This record gives sequence, structure tokens and C-alpha cells, in this order.
Amino acid sequence: MDDRTLDMLLSRVEKPARYIGSEWNTEQKEVCDFRFALCFPDVYEIGMSHLGSRILYHVLNDMDGVACERCYAPWTDMEQALREMNVPLFTLETKSPLKAFDIVGFSLLYEMCYTNVLTMLELSGIPFLAEERDESYPLIVAGGPCTCNPEPIAEVFDAVLLGDGEELEPELVECVRRAKREGISKAALLERLAAIEGVYVPSFYRPVYENGRYVRTERLNENAPEHPQKRVLRDLDRAKYIGRQLVPHMQIVHDRVAVEVMRGCTRGCRFCQAGYIYRPVRERTVDTLLEQTRDLVRCTGYDEVSLLSLSTGDYSGLHELLPRIIDDMAEQKVSVSLPSLRIDSLLKDDLEKMQTVRKGGLTFAPEAGTQRMRDVINKNVTEEDLLRAVTDAFTAGWCGVKLYFMIGLPTETDEDIAGIAELARKVSNAFYRLPKDKRGSGFRVTVSVSTFVPKPWTAFQWCAQDRQEEIVRKQQLLKTALKGVRGAELHCHPSVLSVLEAVFSRGDRRLTNVLIDAYRRGCRFDSWAEHFKPAAWAEAFGANGLSMDEYAHRERSIDEPLPWETVDALVKPAYLKREWARAQEARTTKDCRQGCNGCFGEHCEDYCRV
Amino acid sequence: MKIIAAFEKTKELSYTSHLDVQRTLQRTFRRADLPLAFSKGFNPHPKLSFATALATGYTSAGEWIEVELDREITPEDFTERVNGALPNGMRFHSAFIADENFGTLSKMLIAARYIVTLYPDAAVTAEALRAALDGLLSSDEVIVEKKTKSGIRPANIRPEILEAEAISASDGTAVVAVAGTLNAAGGLRAETFARALFERLGTSGRFTAHRTALCFAGSDRLPRLR
Repeated sequence: MDDRTLDMLLSRVEKPARYIGSEWNTEQKEVCDFRFALCFPDVYEIGMSHLGSRILYHVLNDMDGVACERCYAPWTDMEQALREMNVPLFTLETKSPLKAFDIVGFSLLYEMCYTNVLTMLELSGIPFLAEERDESYPLIVAGGPCTCNPEPIAEVFDAVLLGDGEELEPELVECVRRAKREGISKAALLERLAAIEGVYVPSFYRPVYENGRYVRTERLNENAPEHPQKRVLRDLDRAKYIGRQLVPHMQIVHDRVAVEVMRGCTRGCRFCQAGYIYRPVRERTVDTLLEQTRDLVRCTGYDEVSLLSLSTGDYSGLHELLPRIIDDMAEQKVSVSLPSLRIDSLLKDDLEKMQTVRKGGLTFAPEAGTQRMRDVINKNVTEEDLLRAVTDAFTAGWCGVKLYFMIGLPTETDEDIAGIAELARKVSNAFYRLPKDKRGSGFRVTVSVSTFVPKPWTAFQWCAQDRQEEIVRKQQLLKTALKGVRGAELHCHPSVLSVLEAVFSRGDRRLTNVLIDAYRRGCRFDSWAEHFKPAAWAEAFGANGLSMDEYAHRERSIDEPLPWETVDALVKPAYLKREWARAQEARTTKDCRQGCNGCFGEHCEDYCRV
Repeated sequence: MKIIAAFEKTKELSYTSHLDVQRTLQRTFRRADLPLAFSKGFNPHPKLSFATALATGYTSAGEWIEVELDREITPEDFTERVNGALPNGMRFHSAFIADENFGTLSKMLIAARYIVTLYPDAAVTAEALRAALDGLLSSDEVIVEKKTKSGIRPANIRPEILEAEAISASDGTAVVAVAGTLNAAGGLRAETFARALFERLGTSGRFTAHRTALCFAGSDRLPRLR
């Protein structure tokens, strides 16, 4: 792209820094014979914060002769500018159109970004459906957590990558690179790809529907595996990490050094898809983490480090790591934060240590208001745990705490909703019970409530989602119950979007047409309130003869075939059924660090070595 | 000790905001391992201040900053280390050590020079450009709609224009060199000047601005207006 065109585009948009590239540590390969466009279907600030993409950016650029460049969804002002000026969407590093790449890979983090995938393809002159593309187009692939049910968007992609990408992506690249050298057909290439562990080629499978419901999947190519299985990175400690972390010019959502202490979680919370699909748990050693942290701080200049994982409080080396890393960083005036603390694993000493550098916000996620409800969801945290933790925090000087809850959980009653307010009251009392000279001022307990979305590969994958009216009623109930709780503040997430999320989470391939239809009706950035168009979505469903209700609010029978079971996320359906049965009896299941719960079935020996 | 230095901002980097630049410099100084002096308190920050901000989208040949350091380093060392840690599109030059009683940059600032390039929708001849500039300069009042805290208001920017000279008018562009007042309270904006000039030319269009210099009073070590 010439400078003047770029200038004209940039001068027309509100946040031009989203599109300029040239961040510190950007990779700009002089010589390459293979180009990979790493695409993220949301804006720069969000995409740049995604750890998985950062890892892949480094892993791919670390390959000889491979250049990996980034591209994020253009905000609506840039989309309009590109259309009006008839300029294709471009990558940040060399301002090249996506069509110039060998592979275009999308990270799918959230179902509500699917329309943005279509925007990015259309602005690149690339047809939406895999079957409409011949060898002249780049190979279009997708990876990320949403691929545990790729079906609603599967027909867009030539290949879908399941599970950890550190080893899988280089294998994909090598396979496509060889095919390119040999000049083989796309059909032949897809067959080779299907043979790689962790690759799902949607065109080799055809779902069958009877009486308006999914019943089974037919395999169209006998060389493709019956159930493509997710890829597992076995040794996280020795795996490649993010190399020299990119330092953005503009502020992004997670604008700090990111250190991944472990992958996976042993807790087994029954609503939590991440908890199921990132199994097994793999940790990095304390020494590796200290070294990575030092290197990253040195090469980025950041003054904040975040220790990331699904549940950092459960990291087995935490009490060795924390004091060492905090001391190490304090010398350089670098603060350390833990974004996901488990209530029961908090220690007063750690809190006091953390405060010596910088006092961040404190967040806890009891998820449900009563012990019965928490037992149903297997959130093995008690009221005493929470109250002890917040009292410790208040004594250490914190005077604000944020509590996360979900409503609409299976078996939930009004008593469970009232329990949320009751818990907030007890937290508030815990603060005001402290002597005045021992506590801070301006106390806040923020109750943040989201709507439960049943997800595939969880114990709740069969559940009906609460209807919108019911969610609104429960939110109202909570609002009333919170009156009179000192310092309480309620934040409810809008429930309309949760319905669409529920539909696409557990959807099948028939939704692809709905998605394209909704896109044509102007749907973009659906997770952004200012862009979400519920009416357009309703029309798109109607025009395709499908009902959101059927997908979101219908309880599936335990023996019903599920469209996502075409792929294998390793967690066994028999285990999920056991968990669902226990949930209905409000029986908890132990953390699997205390003994195997058999979630991988016969694969246990192969993949899980906790 | 206090170091004073200027940096240029070019290419795509011109599209980063003043806030972005502040963050970038803080991180750059850390990467360069400068012996930064920090403010006291819970949120220690390096002591770094700017002569003025540069509007997003403008390029510049010299934006001046002052930074407090805990240990002595030479200006050459400063420039070399910082330039080795700066992203493409920013580069430091003209660094020097300020003595104890050296003033504050923002208080010494009096003016700025720009090259403003217009891309008029209708072609502009060299004569027309010169005539429009002469017209502007010979008027007592140049009224332009200006964004203020209390909404959009007409304002007279004539007193803010110190010099203006046509450079060229060809290839669909009209290029002008302009000097305007600039201090902590405000001053001429290239954007309002470009709009006033478009109006005189009887056309509209887009423009780009390049700040060629910040001008100061009260020190021989800093660029002066004349």
C-alpha cells in the first residue's frame, strides 16, 4: 500500500493507532517463502491482549523462512473507509492484503465475534465458504477455544485446529509449505492435513438432520479420522512462549507483561468450559517463570507483570514464586498482579507482600449465592473461605472488593438469588465490623452478575438456558434484595446477548447461513452494545426457518446426539454425564489433584500426568 | 540531574496520541536502562515532562522533553541508549544536560513552525495560494470556528499567526510554511490554520502537518523563533 492511501485511511478513523503496526518487538522478516496472516476477529485492543495469539506469533515467526503478520477486525469507521476507497484489509507489519498470504488463520475466542470473521474475509475479497474457494485463495483456518464446537462456523474454514497450537501450527505450516512446493491440489492437501493430530477438515464430514434436529455426522472421506481429537502440548515448561512480547503504542486491555504459570485447571467447576477443554493441568517451574519474567520485563519496559492461568492461586509453586518474583520486581518498581485468585488459596502474607508494590483491585468469584447452588456447580468454596479472605484483605488495607456471580444456573431458585445479596451483606459487615482505625474508607462491594450460558463439553451442556423474562425477573429480585447493604453496587450484564451466545455455543452447521444472513443485515461486533442488532438476528433466524429458542432454551435429553461430538475434546461424555447427575443431586466432585476423576477415560494414561 | 532532548516523530508513528507517546517513552527509558528518578508515593512514575503535546496525526522534527535522572550520564550516552530502544518512527537528538536553574520547557515555549500540506478538492495554482496567504496576513481578523470547552465558537486566529509563506502548489497539493504562537495557554493549531486557508482558497480537502520546530525564549541551547 502506498503512503498516501494509508494516510488517507488513517486520517479518517477515530483510533488510527489500531492499524499502524511498528510496535516495539514487531517481527519484520526480510526474507521469507511462506506467509501466515494471524487474524483476530475483534479490535486491536482486545486481540493484542490475547495470550494465545502472542504465543503463535512468536512460534510462527521463529520458523525459518516463515513470516507471520497480524490483522485485527477493523472498527466500523475503518470498514467504511476501506469500502469507500476500495482498499483491501491489510496486515499491520507490511500492510499487505490477506489474499497475499499462504495461510489466513483466525483465533476464535468468543462466538459473538463470528460476524467479524466475515467482515475480514469480505474486505479481503475472499469468499465466505470453503467450498467456494479454489487453490488461488489462501488456506483459511481457525483455532482457539471456540473450536471445541466448530460447527456453527465450520463451513467457512478449510481446516480447524483443535487444542494447543504450539506444536500444531508449525506442523500445519510445514504441511502446507510442502504441498505448495509440490503443487498438489487443494483436495489432496486437505487429506494430508486431516492426518495431522488436532486438525479437523469440515468438508470431510456431513451432519444429518431428521425432524429438524441433528442426529449424526457422516464421514465423507475414509482417510479422515472419525473424531478428530484435540492436540495436547505435553511439556509446557519447555514449550516456546511469547519470545519478545509486543509493546503496543495505544493502551490495550491487558497492557502488561503476561506470564503463563500453568495451563488447565483441576477444580472441575461444572459451568466452566475453559476448565474442561484446557485439561490436563500443566505447570511451568518457578525458575522458568522467574527467568521469563525478567526477560520480558527487560525487553518490553513494562512496569507491571501479570501471572496468568485459569486459577493462579492453585499453582503448586505459588508460595515459592510470589515472594521471589515480588522482591525481584520491586527493585525495578515493577508490580505483580494475579488476575484470578481462588478465595480458599489466598494467604494474608501474599496480600501484604503484593501491597508493598501497588494496590490493585480485588476480585472474587463465588459464582453463586448459596452453598447448595455452589455445590451444584462444584465451586468448592465456602462462605467462611470468602469472609476470611475479604477480612484479611480489608485488614491489609483494601477497601473495595468485586464479587462475580452468575444467575440462571441449573436448579436455581429465588432463595439462591437472595443468597447473593446475603453474601454481599456479610462481606459488607465484615468490613464495618473492623475497628475504624484498622480499616480504610470509601468501602465498595461490587456485585457483578452475568447470565449463565450452557457450553459444550461441560456438565451443563444439556441444560436449558433461562428465558430472558426469567433472567430479568431474577435481576430485579436481586436489586431489591441488595437494598440496605452498605457500599453495595450492582452490575448486571444484559441478557439478550447471552441468548445468542447460547445459540452459537451449542449450535450446528445450519447456523452458518443464519450467520451470513445476519452479517448481510449489518450485524458486526455483536458483543459491543452499541453495535448489537437483536432485531436483525431475529430476522436472520426467521428467514432461515430456525428458532433461537430450540438452541438456547431447550433441555437436551441425556442421550441426544450432540453436533460438537464430531470432534473429540478428550473429556469423555460418560464423565460429563456423571457430573451432570451429581450436579442435580447437589453433590460435589473433588479437585482432581486429590485423585483422578476419570475425565479422559481410556486416554488418561496418554495425556494426563498431573 | 536533568536531561533535555528532542525527538522526531515520523511515518505511522505520527498517528499515536500524546498519551501513547508518554507511555512509549516511559517504557523506552526502562528498556534503555536509564537511571530514572521516580516520583514518590504509591504509584511511582518517572519524572518526565513535555514542552507541549503534538496533535495525533502530525509529524514532527523536534518535540522537546525533560527527564530527571538519579545518576550522571552523558548526553551522547543518553541518545544512543534511548535510540536503541525506540520503535521505528521516533528518534532522539540534540540532548544536553540542564543546569540547576534551567527553566521549565513548557514555560519557555513561545512558538512553533509547521509545514502544512493541503490536498485541495479543486486544483490550486501558485498564484492563488500566494493571494490567499496575502489575504490572510493582511486581514486584522481571521475568524474560524474553534472547539472550546463551551462548544464550537467563532474565534479570531489572526493574532496567533506570526509568519506564513507559500512553498509550492503542484501535483494536487498546496504547501505552506507557517509559524504560530504556542505556549502553555494555547496557540495556533495547524488544523485551524488549514481550515482558514481552505476557506480563502474557496475549496476544501484534507491536510497533513509537520512541525518543523518548537521555539523557545530564555535559553541559547534551545531553538529560537528568529
